[in-house]
Amino acid sequence: MKKILFSLIAVAVATLTACQEWEPVLGNQGTPSSPEPTDLVPNYTIAQLKALYKVLGEPVKIDEDIIIAGQVVSEDRSGNIYRSMFIQDESGAIELKVGKTTLYNDYHPGQWVVVKCSGLTLGNYSGMLQLGFGRNKKANGEESGVDSDGENSDAYETTYIEQQYIIDTHIFKGKKDKPVTPKVLTEADVKANLTYKVDGRTMPQQGPDFGTLVTLKALKYGNQIFCLIYPDPDKAHDGNHRDNRVFLDEKTWNVTTWSLSKQGLIRHLKAGDFDAARLADDTKSVSDPELKALMIKKANGYSVSQYFKLGGTDIQVRTSGYARFADAEIDKDVLSGAATVDVTGILTCYLSSGTYVAQFTLIDEDSVKVNK
Amino acid sequence: MYKKLLMAFAGLLFCSLTLPAQAPTGGVKGTIVSRGDSAPIAGVALTLYQGSVEIAKTVTAEDGTFLISNLADGSYDLDVEATGYLSTKVNLVVVRGAVKNMFNLRVSRLKEEATDEMFEDFDMEDSGYSDNPTILFGQNDVFNNIAGFNFSSVRFRVRGYSSESQDVYLAGVKMNDAITGYSPYSLWSGLNEATRVKHTVNGLEISDYGLGGYNGLTNIPVNAANVRKGLRGSVMTSSALYRLRLMMTYASGPLDNGWSYAINVSTRMGGNDWIKGVFYRSFAYYGAVEKKFNDKHKLGFVFMGAPGTRGAQNASTQEVYNLMNDNMYNSNWGYQNGKVRNSRVRMTHEPITLLRYDFTPTQHFSLGATLLYRFGKNGYTSLDWYDASDPRPDYYRNLPSYFWNDNEDYNRLNKAKALWAQDAWESNISDITHINWDRMYEVNRNNKVDGSNRSKYVVEERRTDQRDLNFALNARWNATRFLTLTGGASLRVNRTEYYKILNDLLGGDYYVDVDQFAEREYASVPTMLQNDLDYFLANGEAKKLRVGDKYGYDYYAQIRKYEGWLNARLSFGNFEAKVGGRVGYDAFWREGLVRKGLFPGLNSVGGQMTYDGVNITTYDYEGQPITSYGKSKVQDFVTYAAKANLNYFVKGGHRIFANIGFFEDAPRFNQTFVSPRTRNTIVPDVSKIKTFTADVNYQYSAGNVNLRVTGFFTKIDDQSKVMSFYDDSQNTFTNFAMSGIDERHMGIELGFKVPTPVDNLSLQGVLSLGEYVYTSNPKMYQTYDNSSAIIEDTWGVTIPYWKSHPKTNGKTQKHYVAGTPQVAASLGLNWNKNYWFVDVDVDYFDKSYLDMNPLYRTDMATAGGDGIVTPAEVDYMASQEKFDPVALVNLSVGKSWFLNRKYQLGFSLNVKNLLNKRDVKTGGYEQTRLVDNTVNKDRYYRFDSKYFYMTGINYMLNVYFRF
Repeated sequence: MKKILFSLIAVAVATLTACQEWEPVLGNQGTPSSPEPTDLVPNYTIAQLKALYKVLGEPVKIDEDIIIAGQVVSEDRSGNIYRSMFIQDESGAIELKVGKTTLYNDYHPGQWVVVKCSGLTLGNYSGMLQLGFGRNKKANGEESGVDSDGENSDAYETTYIEQQYIIDTHIFKGKKDKPVTPKVLTEADVKANLTYKVDGRTMPQQGPDFGTLVTLKALKYGNQIFCLIYPDPDKAHDGNHRDNRVFLDEKTWNVTTWSLSKQGLIRHLKAGDFDAARLADDTKSVSDPELKALMIKKANGYSVSQYFKLGGTDIQVRTSGYARFADAEIDKDVLSGAATVDVTGILTCYLSSGTYVAQFTLIDEDSVKVNK
Repeated sequence: MYKKLLMAFAGLLFCSLTLPAQAPTGGVKGTIVSRGDSAPIAGVALTLYQGSVEIAKTVTAEDGTFLISNLADGSYDLDVEATGYLSTKVNLVVVRGAVKNMFNLRVSRLKEEATDEMFEDFDMEDSGYSDNPTILFGQNDVFNNIAGFNFSSVRFRVRGYSSESQDVYLAGVKMNDAITGYSPYSLWSGLNEATRVKHTVNGLEISDYGLGGYNGLTNIPVNAANVRKGLRGSVMTSSALYRLRLMMTYASGPLDNGWSYAINVSTRMGGNDWIKGVFYRSFAYYGAVEKKFNDKHKLGFVFMGAPGTRGAQNASTQEVYNLMNDNMYNSNWGYQNGKVRNSRVRMTHEPITLLRYDFTPTQHFSLGATLLYRFGKNGYTSLDWYDASDPRPDYYRNLPSYFWNDNEDYNRLNKAKALWAQDAWESNISDITHINWDRMYEVNRNNKVDGSNRSKYVVEERRTDQRDLNFALNARWNATRFLTLTGGASLRVNRTEYYKILNDLLGGDYYVDVDQFAEREYASVPTMLQNDLDYFLANGEAKKLRVGDKYGYDYYAQIRKYEGWLNARLSFGNFEAKVGGRVGYDAFWREGLVRKGLFPGLNSVGGQMTYDGVNITTYDYEGQPITSYGKSKVQDFVTYAAKANLNYFVKGGHRIFANIGFFEDAPRFNQTFVSPRTRNTIVPDVSKIKTFTADVNYQYSAGNVNLRVTGFFTKIDDQSKVMSFYDDSQNTFTNFAMSGIDERHMGIELGFKVPTPVDNLSLQGVLSLGEYVYTSNPKMYQTYDNSSAIIEDTWGVTIPYWKSHPKTNGKTQKHYVAGTPQVAASLGLNWNKNYWFVDVDVDYFDKSYLDMNPLYRTDMATAGGDGIVTPAEVDYMASQEKFDPVALVNLSVGKSWFLNRKYQLGFSLNVKNLLNKRDVKTGGYEQTRLVDNTVNKDRYYRFDSKYFYMTGINYMLNVYFRF
């Protein structure tokens, strides 16, 4: 009997030390060490990669073994940049549509990121090249203009990469480095990018400064905003549903903040600031009590473009309604024209009524310096 | 003719009344011995009945002998109750005033080391109070004995009743949780020996410890003298829960000087074969002393507790289980530094201490009083994160189904991404299929803010710390031979503190006490983000948290409960009637200990709270300030309950009995506050729960034949429920209360055990056929969690498809109470000889349903985005899932040996689920989420439900020895 008992205890002790099942019992996992930076070596510059995009409307699915590397220049901590990041090397920059939120937790400004591009797709959006994933397709092979968030993506030639395993096998973290110093651009520089030509055709997509971290100095307030509001965001609101769109444009509409958060929108609606705005189908004004009640009830945050002038060039500083500084007031002296601002952020391009215009994305509130 | 009979009856009656006046000379004597080795057993409790009238009580002496004298001629039943042995009832006849000698009365040892021990170890789930036997054993009822052991693996619940309806008492004090009503077995899990003696009544029967409810009452005396004398130890290994259990017990038994003492310690350790990440690091201790001063006074003291840490399991969707090719997949754990770590760990230590006084001034009157205090901590860890991605591996956006669905209306159109996701899961890429602890450390280490690292991911510990003081008094008075009165009173003062503490910073230096959900909406209003507004107002910033700091929320649930009860047992010949009633007073309130920024309420002098000169006090729909700090209104209820048991005993072991009861119960704290973590707001129409129940039974018990058949009917009305969830149609977190939930439980029960022509082999079986349905469409009340504002069209609105829904073919589909099979059957063979036992059972279960969420039964969900309700949408959205029926086979074997007539060594081996079925759902829930971004936006879809599965084949081997 003793033997049985002893052998049982022996078995018990053996299992205790041998198996994974005892790891949580013992609880001595220890602190994990930091992962080693990737040793993948780039074989393309970002500009070389972008150059593969040649024909507008024809996204490029990359099958070759192309590896690029760049430093992270954007940060989504403030929420103004969303699900995406910009990386730049000496040749230029590209937007990487990673598709995850709070990317700043994993990718830090200045950090090198190495991308194995094979399997990813290079596409255009409104003048900007983005590296993302192939478009959605229905079962019949027809491409879909609506993505899984229900947003119209006809204008996008790529989708978010978004799936973690694709990210883990394509986007690798390299060594940490100092944040990139922003390049100061002049009005001429901006214009040169907007009119950048490839083989005689205008292709701002290849403009070397788009997507990079830049500083624009001495911007003057333009007394104009642009904002598109969907009265019922739960209903279809693409270009075919003009009854579900309200444009705020051509003047400031009393919006003195960088953007419109949900609470900010409600405040303006209640104050009557947007009463004169009309549905895009021109059937109703926002002052209509029913429409206004609906807009208040279904309020969301909305992006606002605040117009500035760099010399004679329009710079639309576009800020998300979900940015933490959405409700931050623009300095009064700036609004009145008494002061200018220097802004640091990502220079992008936007196709507006057939013309490419310069758009600017602030990283956070600290990206704005008021010159008094 | 009738007249003559009546006269004779009356005469008999007269005789029986007058007979005791003459001193009878008859009696009964004998020796109680163990069936196997004929060893005498001391301390066996014997109760002698004539019909249902208790005539005498005694215990056997050291040598197992007993004598009951002063018996009149007649037929008697002798109840023999020995700890560790099967209870027996013996019929005897005293004739001509002689003392009947029964010689050796043999009793059989309980199926080894008692079935409850094996049982308890098999039945645990992730509910916090999980190691609750769903049915209690050792209560001498053939149905419950068999069902209790065999049905635990599928979480069978007797008559479909919730576990809260089962009353569990410790030394006369009701221990069901003051807040939730859960039965409290986890408080003493691992103390099997100390809690082995149980006094149980079933169903509606009236107990000596209280009126009881409709689902039985069990009292565990836990006093030192009740623990079996001697030194005992056991080693157990199992493959379904934890690898190893070691237990030691020593009890002195009653010593000559009147003292008794007992200790019981145990540990349960390790993981199991089936569910990774689930583990135990649990201990238990029990110490008790008792002093019997004389025949009248006895005083006992007990201190016990079960400190423990154990990893929990999580439910996942079928998609995840299929991808992992494993229904036992557990999403709670991941690798840290290459080693398994579980994110959901229960850490509890809630000691109980009690003082029990027994006073027996006369043979006919006894009184007991218990003062009991429960305290300590109850923690449950969970991941918490701030402005970082959801770290749970099976989050729906991480699954193939998020990227592709054949139904194009879902807008999930990227097959390539779905295939990537599928590949990651099927290849079991552990960074994706499990929690990625290493990444969380890395994120925290890199989030430098002002020179130190602000953690983005932390482990929080949700605490529910009870201070529970109880006093209970119970008395028994055998007024006459025909009337016994039992009665008592109890008092409970409970203060439970709910709060969170920071358990692990995961490599970071600090965490910040803000409400990130509020921050998303009110980023520009700093006061509204504050979990602790007063701290912010005093310090100008939210608190930076270190390990061990309280944060998030902090409030008391204050409960006061007073109860008085009285039962009377009237017996007359073969009739017995018990009637009883109780009156109770419940009062409870919330007391907020921190001021939440969203709901500051009024300041200390009753004025509005302000910040920067702006009023920040918010008001509810009735214009009352919404308050998080301080006392809520007191909710109080006076409740009544009454029940009656009628018994008719027929010679030869037949018993026909019927029970009826009506109960009022106060709603519980957790059913009354809309969002107790944040505010004092109360559900608008909470009311008392009313239960009516009745059953009729036939029981036959003679020799080795046992049988019971029961029919029952129960109606439970006006229940309420509170939950909080993210409402996709509102794109925000909401609080949802529903009230007026009515249920009806009816069905039949059958249990039998009969000998077969083969020696020592008996056939046993049970059948439970029930229908447990909802019979009302409750009302709903939904508010925004952030603002307490009412959500339009949800206030006091009926949930139209709760009790049933119309199918597309026009028929009505009933909805069922979930959580138990409504059809359960078992048939088995039991063989017993020479200390060997072998049990084989085949069980069958059917009509198990998935727990419903109310959201899918609302007009809003069935109407979809276009607001138009169609029959197809209703049938799709409101349907309730029924689980597949299942048959299972279980085997138990045991044997014990006596060594040198002094020691005993034995083992028992249970093998459950011999057919290794791994597709048996035991429970789960519907997610309260909707797919609402469909192409045409005219309808909604459900999220996949989550399930728990039964483990495959598993064993439990227990080896024990006794000195």
